Amino acid sequence: MLSALRNNILPLFFIAIFAISFTTDAYSQYLINLMLVYVVVAQGLNLILGFAGMFAFAHGAFMAIGAYVSALLMNELGLPYAVALPMAGLSAAAVGCVIGIPAIRVSGLYLAMVTMGISEIVQWVLRHWKPVTGGTDGIGVASPSFFGFEFSDDFQSFHIIFVVCAVMTILAQFVVRSRLGRAFVAIREGEIAAQSSGINVARTKVFAFAISAFYAGIGGSLFSLTQHYINPENFNLYQMIMQFCMVIVGGSASLVGPFIGAAILTWLPELLRSAQAFQEIGFGLLLIVFVIFMPRGLAGFLIDRNILPRERFSRAPRVEPEQRAAPPVTVERT
Amino acid sequence: MMEIATLLSVGVSNGCLYGLVGLGLVLVYNAQGIPNFAHGELFMATAFAAYVANVILGIPYALSFLIAIAFAAVLGMLVEFLAIRPISTNRALGRASTDVAVVLSTVGLMITIKGLARIPWGDSVRKLPGAFSTETVTIGSLVISTQRLLIIVVAAVLTVCISLFFARTSLGKKMRATSQNITGAKLIGINTGHIYSATWGLAAVCGGIAGVLAAPIIFLHPDMGTRMLLKGFAAACLGGFGSVSGVFVGGILMGIVEIFFGRYLATSMMDIFAPIIIIVVLLFRPQGLFGARRAVRV
Repeated sequence: MLSALRNNILPLFFIAIFAISFTTDAYSQYLINLMLVYVVVAQGLNLILGFAGMFAFAHGAFMAIGAYVSALLMNELGLPYAVALPMAGLSAAAVGCVIGIPAIRVSGLYLAMVTMGISEIVQWVLRHWKPVTGGTDGIGVASPSFFGFEFSDDFQSFHIIFVVCAVMTILAQFVVRSRLGRAFVAIREGEIAAQSSGINVARTKVFAFAISAFYAGIGGSLFSLTQHYINPENFNLYQMIMQFCMVIVGGSASLVGPFIGAAILTWLPELLRSAQAFQEIGFGLLLIVFVIFMPRGLAGFLIDRNILPRERFSRAPRVEPEQRAAPPVTVERT
Repeated sequence: MMEIATLLSVGVSNGCLYGLVGLGLVLVYNAQGIPNFAHGELFMATAFAAYVANVILGIPYALSFLIAIAFAAVLGMLVEFLAIRPISTNRALGRASTDVAVVLSTVGLMITIKGLARIPWGDSVRKLPGAFSTETVTIGSLVISTQRLLIIVVAAVLTVCISLFFARTSLGKKMRATSQNITGAKLIGINTGHIYSATWGLAAVCGGIAGVLAAPIIFLHPDMGTRMLLKGFAAACLGGFGSVSGVFVGGILMGIVEIFFGRYLATSMMDIFAPIIIIVVLLFRPQGLFGARRAVRV
């Protein structure tokens, strides 16, 4: 019973969120939506930072690309959200590829600086390309509609966000349990070893970039739905540090981690919202304390205590030790 | 012609500041192999320390300069002891995970220090008076601000001092040994923990001097460090993370290019230079401008 609960923690989480959504007021519905959006973004960041062990400081920028692309496609071209959302993800992934292909030439720590420079350039473009992005004033986001039904308030947009978040989570699980996910972990643990076991390191790294940028793009597009209005400030350094916190506090290299991290870090700023200073101190200390004392995050802590299941890297069902058939004992007589 | 000379003096003095900030980044990078994202905040905190000493407590400028530098050294060592050492000495983490953890720790420090500075100082901008009461000096027909002249002189003196420090003093040699081979350094009896403390202290002093010198030119604000951080990174990249003088040449080059583009193309261009330089240099010439010969790591 308990182990059935443990192994299906993510489906249960989604059922619980759906059940709660019938009882919420507007404000807590907004927070739930925001949390699900951050789950998507944190899943993407976790794939590259947690599983593949690569520095990615450009996720705020990828999120911004997704948000602006989907908002502009709907506002300017009048495209339906069902087209704008995948376009947001794909354009972020395309930018991720373009950046990723040269960026894999530089090793780990230089990558941190290159991606940070990229996020600074995207910020600059958003602020100065006024005719398109509206500069620092930002742009409004139209409400999406499907088959003539408009999803305007938080209760309605919850349904879109909920479905997309569930799909993206299943996709993340699929990636982690595939050959590609195992290649990510192999590269994190040692590039030379990975290469000598037949992994195409360069291609895998570009995939990591593109997939995680795709997640950030989709997340950015969903984020624009919750905010109804976006400006460059939404995607600055602070946003990026919040995402780092989600991955590290929740638990890097864990599929459950982003849920824990997004839940905590969506509520925390609301508690500290009185002052920017306290939000910054709170996030910063949280990040430092966790990397020092609990580098695998809350998910790692719970896995060690057998409360959460270990991460699986293959699709074959795990055989519990007690269920494993005892090997036949043969005693050789001489 | 006159304008070009004035712009040149502004560009060179800005570049010296970038070089000083970049030097602190290079020191930490060479010791521990990580980019220190909290460096901009050390710059900011020291500038505010000088402000407290000079403006609020009314201590004379020269003395408050020294107090601020001492504050920077202590802050740098404290940060290393509290937030870096517990991770880098944690044997449970693999080598790759340690680097990720240390970098994220500096990111956490960056935003924590910024938040701490926001409590007393808020979002208003303040101004630290310059070192001299006369604002400008006139050389021939060229008018230079005294503060900018001071920046250039201090940067030149520091370049020589720090180069000598690494070449001649025992501590400097120990630092070089530790960055070349930490196991070897431990074997011959160097206390590498002390070396890391000293490195962080020295790096913070470099950033701090830049902060105090820059404070009269740019306004004091809790966000002032982050922009400086990128420019310091750009200077360090151009210099190739190698020699002390390389960083300064990189910084000065960037300061000059930046000011001319800002003046003749668009002011908004000034902010985009640092990230472009970082990306272009790291992607196409990661050894920096002078990297054909592998520079000795300092």
